[in-house]
Amino acid sequence: MKRKSWIQKQGWIGYVFILPNMLGILAFFILPALFSFGMMFTDYQFANPNWKFTGMDNISRMFGDEQFYASIKYTVIFLLSVPVSLAIAFLVALVLNRSVYLKGLLRGMFFLPYISSGVAVAFVWMLLFQPSQGPINEVLRLIGIVSPPGWFADSDSAMYAIDVVQIWFMLGYNMIIYLAALQEISTEQLEAARIDGASSATITWKIVWPLVSPTTFMLLITGLIMTVKSFSLIQAITGGGPSGSTTILSLFVYKTAFSYYEMGYASTISWFLFAVILVITIIQWVGQKRWVHY
Amino acid sequence: MIRKGWLKVVLITTLAASILGACGSNNNNNNGNAGQNAGTASESQAGEKVKLTMWGAVPAEAGPQEVIDTWNKENPNIQVEYIRYVNDDPGNLKLDTALMTGQDADLFINYTVNLLQKRVDAGVALDLSSKTDYNIDEQMGVDAAQWKIDGKYYGIPTKKNMLFIWFNKNMLDEAGLPVPPVDWTWSDLREYANKLKKDNVYGLLQHDAAFTATIDGTIAGLGVTKPDGTSNFDNDLWKQQLQILHDMMFVDKSTPEYGEQVTSKMPVDTMFLKGEAAMLSAGEFIFRNANNLKDYPHDFKIAFATIPQVTADQKDYKYAGGLGDFLSVNAKSKHQEAAWEFAKWYADGGMLPMASGGRIPSSKSVDNKQAMDLLLKGLEDKYDSESMNKVVFGQFPSFQLNVPKQAIDARKEEYEKYFLNEQDIDTTLKNMAKRHQQYIK
Amino acid sequence: MIETKNNLSVKLSVTILMLLAGLFMIVPFLWMISTSFQTPSEVFRQWLPSRLDWSSHQRIWTGSYNFLPYYLNSIKIAVIGTAGAVLLSALAAYGFARTEFKGRNTLFMVYLSMMMIPPQVVFVPKFIMFNWLHIYNTHWALILPAMFSIFGVFMLRQFFLSIPKEITESAFLDGAGHFRIFFKLVLPLAKPALATFAIIDFSWQWNDYENALVFLQSPKLYTIPLGLQNFVLENNVDYNGMMAASSAAIIPMILVFLLGQKYIIQGVSSSAVKG
Repeated sequence: MKRKSWIQKQGWIGYVFILPNMLGILAFFILPALFSFGMMFTDYQFANPNWKFTGMDNISRMFGDEQFYASIKYTVIFLLSVPVSLAIAFLVALVLNRSVYLKGLLRGMFFLPYISSGVAVAFVWMLLFQPSQGPINEVLRLIGIVSPPGWFADSDSAMYAIDVVQIWFMLGYNMIIYLAALQEISTEQLEAARIDGASSATITWKIVWPLVSPTTFMLLITGLIMTVKSFSLIQAITGGGPSGSTTILSLFVYKTAFSYYEMGYASTISWFLFAVILVITIIQWVGQKRWVHY
Repeated sequence: MIRKGWLKVVLITTLAASILGACGSNNNNNNGNAGQNAGTASESQAGEKVKLTMWGAVPAEAGPQEVIDTWNKENPNIQVEYIRYVNDDPGNLKLDTALMTGQDADLFINYTVNLLQKRVDAGVALDLSSKTDYNIDEQMGVDAAQWKIDGKYYGIPTKKNMLFIWFNKNMLDEAGLPVPPVDWTWSDLREYANKLKKDNVYGLLQHDAAFTATIDGTIAGLGVTKPDGTSNFDNDLWKQQLQILHDMMFVDKSTPEYGEQVTSKMPVDTMFLKGEAAMLSAGEFIFRNANNLKDYPHDFKIAFATIPQVTADQKDYKYAGGLGDFLSVNAKSKHQEAAWEFAKWYADGGMLPMASGGRIPSSKSVDNKQAMDLLLKGLEDKYDSESMNKVVFGQFPSFQLNVPKQAIDARKEEYEKYFLNEQDIDTTLKNMAKRHQQYIK
Repeated sequence: MIETKNNLSVKLSVTILMLLAGLFMIVPFLWMISTSFQTPSEVFRQWLPSRLDWSSHQRIWTGSYNFLPYYLNSIKIAVIGTAGAVLLSALAAYGFARTEFKGRNTLFMVYLSMMMIPPQVVFVPKFIMFNWLHIYNTHWALILPAMFSIFGVFMLRQFFLSIPKEITESAFLDGAGHFRIFFKLVLPLAKPALATFAIIDFSWQWNDYENALVFLQSPKLYTIPLGLQNFVLENNVDYNGMMAASSAAIIPMILVFLLGQKYIIQGVSSSAVKG
């Protein structure tokens, strides 16, 4: 009750805090977004002053476009990397937070991929996944898999290889955010549990994991959004190939907009993408009460 | 108290507003003055000093800088600045954005008819029909007409495009093979590759830029569509060429498997110059590295052949190349006359310094010998002069392919499936035609 | 004693294990350094240079490749942009986490949804707007939008939410206003989060290629990612030069990481406050 009263008393102050940011968001995000929403109903091609309203043409074209459906499938496979990367990053952050020497160095090493040159990343992973002599397939053959997948040279497995690279790439990013979250947990809480005889696993699962759940929630939502939007890594490694098998939706949008200049159609696909992520986000938002503890 | 508080707020707000307003109007005045000054300045100096900006995709140090330095020295009144853009999707988007503003982009070079078409549609490429002081057809030859859009020129094609097979002549001699004639076929090439391959030496390597040279040249002769208006992407000559290439990869193993080449990022030019391949299918851009003996030392001679046709009796086969580097004037430029003056000078020999990088001017006003000397830089003994004269400086029927980029990309996806053994040849051809059909209006 | 010894050896072996994993993480980085010292004909053909060739490192600082202006431009943009983003995001995050007002949750949902628009489809309206604001082809076209980070608002909001309510509440009852609480209490407590966001945001702006490409036209305004395009030749790539320049470009990033890292560790001691 007491809390309610002091917050209610200054209801307007919230706007003061948000206003500067909101002006920018309005100008650089919301207005352009509305503009692109309008483009959805036109045949606007970039730079071409002659365009007309085409109504629902773009939408029906999209639902009849085989490449669109294919890229949805690839996008779903791509999104598998998000939870996996989160789980690994959480474990790495735990280890690097306490139980090692050379913390600074190790954190730096794990974060380095996130800021490394995309060209270098692409080249090294291509070599690792090289079908005939690459180390990954050598190992697979050693453990008895006679014909390992061709990875980037095979349209059935290329997307999974991309997943591996993406997990590796996002590890450092997720890790440092988890590290920041772990700093907020007080040592006393953990010590008390340890004295009570709880095992490390119990402490991690029952105390640490719930305490970082707001961060996990944030990483999950932003991870899904950013992964859906990101394609520069794919662009550098496969360029969307072989035979289009790594052309996720965002890369499809990119090609449609920047390569074919079909801004109207690109907007349509983007707004479909928007609607899907929005629904997923709302579901997560509603579902967060069950596992996120503030 | 309350009233006083309000008064304060009002006072401060008014004060602040008036200060801001004053600042704003001051600024405006300043800007206005500056603008006027600039205006009068340019008026009074009209015809005296113009600054032009030219956009091209060749790195400045590979010739363009020397070109504009020469021009700027001779023409103090028209100073040109060169901006380099990368000729990929984002790079072209950057150029198109700049063209729309009409500032700092007076001249630009187009590299494909597709993109030129887009710029004509956007109204940024100047229609040259009214220019009577330069006859493009006469200066550049019959191939220039391939760049016409709706029967009009929106720029000048300035260079000869070239794609050919580069031979390691020493390997050819060792195998006792002659330099092939200009009308050789893919079956001949397959045989050559078989005889030339050794352990750790490929018979043939193909640069990305040359991978589709034969099928493109074939369709240019056959026509992109059949008489009934449907796609011609399922023609039998394509089938034969793709099959031969497939056999070379998987049966003869005389050329790298497609997946292998893509996933190992094979630097084909380096490999050829290191003697790891007997033949290389690529363009004139290899000259830069081939002439650089410091970074790419090699002791063999290089000979040349055309990109082979599919069958000996094939009619109307066209050779990849024709004319390129299509120089346009921005229709939104404020200095179109000056830009046009520069464009004519550039085409008629101004561009010569770029010959050292393989860009041979197409204008008949330029002496071939001069361009060749620049190209070879005294390294004549590294090249087989007979085949070089015949192929590199020869005249061949050529083409510019005007197929939507979407269809070209779709075609690539389909033949990739074939070369990765995920789809047989008949399905591949069927799909290529089907997907091309979507973009035929 | 035995137990601590055990602990020590466990800690040591975990360290060694993580070092091995860490080594795997930095292979591309090592390849980048190695390539920058190779000659053109060695690229993609061998892992190590036959001998250290410094010429690529020399030429990226001289002649037409000179990277210094790109460097300075990048620093200017990334520093101002990041500083702005941290401040404005923290303010808004506090608003969303610690104040209540009508439509707060809806507004937050609108914020989040704006993260989902792919940048390729808003670049035309942005271009028109920048042209109108006269900031096209100036650094402001990059700095201004960069100062508004939805991700930053979201991330910091989550961290502010996990600061125990009792702390801010008791300060409020002691008569502190929201701004005082924000600057004197919340910001110091959230140092690790602020530092982390700063590191990540800096890295995004440092590596931003698309916006710089489209909105900067004059070469003298170019940033590092645009400068790297100089090494993309017509039909091939000068990998030696590109990797030399990339190695140089990563140094400021590493410095920022080390700097921010300090604050992340500092957070440990301040966590006692909350106990």
